[in-house]
Amino acid sequence: MKPKKSQMKIQQMAFMLIAVMVFFALVGLLIAAIGFSGLKEKATALQEKNAMLLVSKLANSPEFSCGEDFKSQENCIDFDKVFILKENINKYKTGNKNFWRVSGIEIIKIYPKNSNFIECNSNNYQDCSKITLISGQGISAENFVSLCRKEFDSEKFISYDKCELGKILVKYEKAQ
Amino acid sequence: MKNKKNKSGQEEMIGFALIIILVSVILLIFLAISLNRPKTEIESYEVNSFLQSTLQYTTSCQSSSGAEKYQAIQDIIFECELEDKCANGEDSCKVLNETLDGLLKESWQIGESRPNKGYELIINTDESQILNIKEGNITKSCKESFQTFSKSRTKKNFFINFKACS
Repeated sequence: MKPKKSQMKIQQMAFMLIAVMVFFALVGLLIAAIGFSGLKEKATALQEKNAMLLVSKLANSPEFSCGEDFKSQENCIDFDKVFILKENINKYKTGNKNFWRVSGIEIIKIYPKNSNFIECNSNNYQDCSKITLISGQGISAENFVSLCRKEFDSEKFISYDKCELGKILVKYEKAQ
Repeated sequence: MKNKKNKSGQEEMIGFALIIILVSVILLIFLAISLNRPKTEIESYEVNSFLQSTLQYTTSCQSSSGAEKYQAIQDIIFECELEDKCANGEDSCKVLNETLDGLLKESWQIGESRPNKGYELIINTDESQILNIKEGNITKSCKESFQTFSKSRTKKNFFINFKACS
């Protein structure tokens, strides 16, 4: 009689332990589910941040940046410099790849708005809306930049810095 | 003897129930904290770059004092605060408002079918508000950037805050 009673006690204890374990496992699973729910958003945000950093790095590189001519401002692209760079873009190639190792670079004027989406050339330099430095396909990352150039006021005979709002688009291939 | 056995079983049941209640309360608190965490106003590189570029934008307002150079948005904010006029007699605050309005409308096109649902731009000093432009719906999911700049002569601090909501 006595051993049977203690066996029952052990069985009771075992069931109790299993129940407690299952309960804590469920609680743990729920906490893990909540913790991992924002993982996709975080990954997307990280991807966006990396793309933005790539674009900002490019905009602040010596070939694009305003430098001392425009009081060395951040996220500022020297439009005159870029225009000359476009004409000499073939010199920035090593084999099949370009110097920046991206598949495309475009600079677009946002404001003042130009209704005609015209590619810039030496004839429409001040009245155009787009410079395609490297045309190519890929994942696109873009960021706002200030497009600055030297302008001449023919009425007052003064030269001044004119900065407009634009966007730099960088296309790159996704890493495998 | 039977009573004692029953009492022991009851105590065990109460103990188990207490554990479940305690864990449930902890879980509820954890859930409440994680659900109420503010997910809005994420610092964004895009919004930050937009603000930086906007401050450098050259307006049509020429300085009425000294060299007649065209003013950038940052300079015109100082002029507006002093209620100065441009060289052509136009109100600097009006030029600032119109230019920023145009810049915002072209850069952050809003609408129900667009990714951007609304935006708000506030410029103020330590003492007063200079400008407030608000369009569309300011939802709970906003990207925000904040910048401070000061005028070297008066050493007055200016604050510009922009949020774009999706």
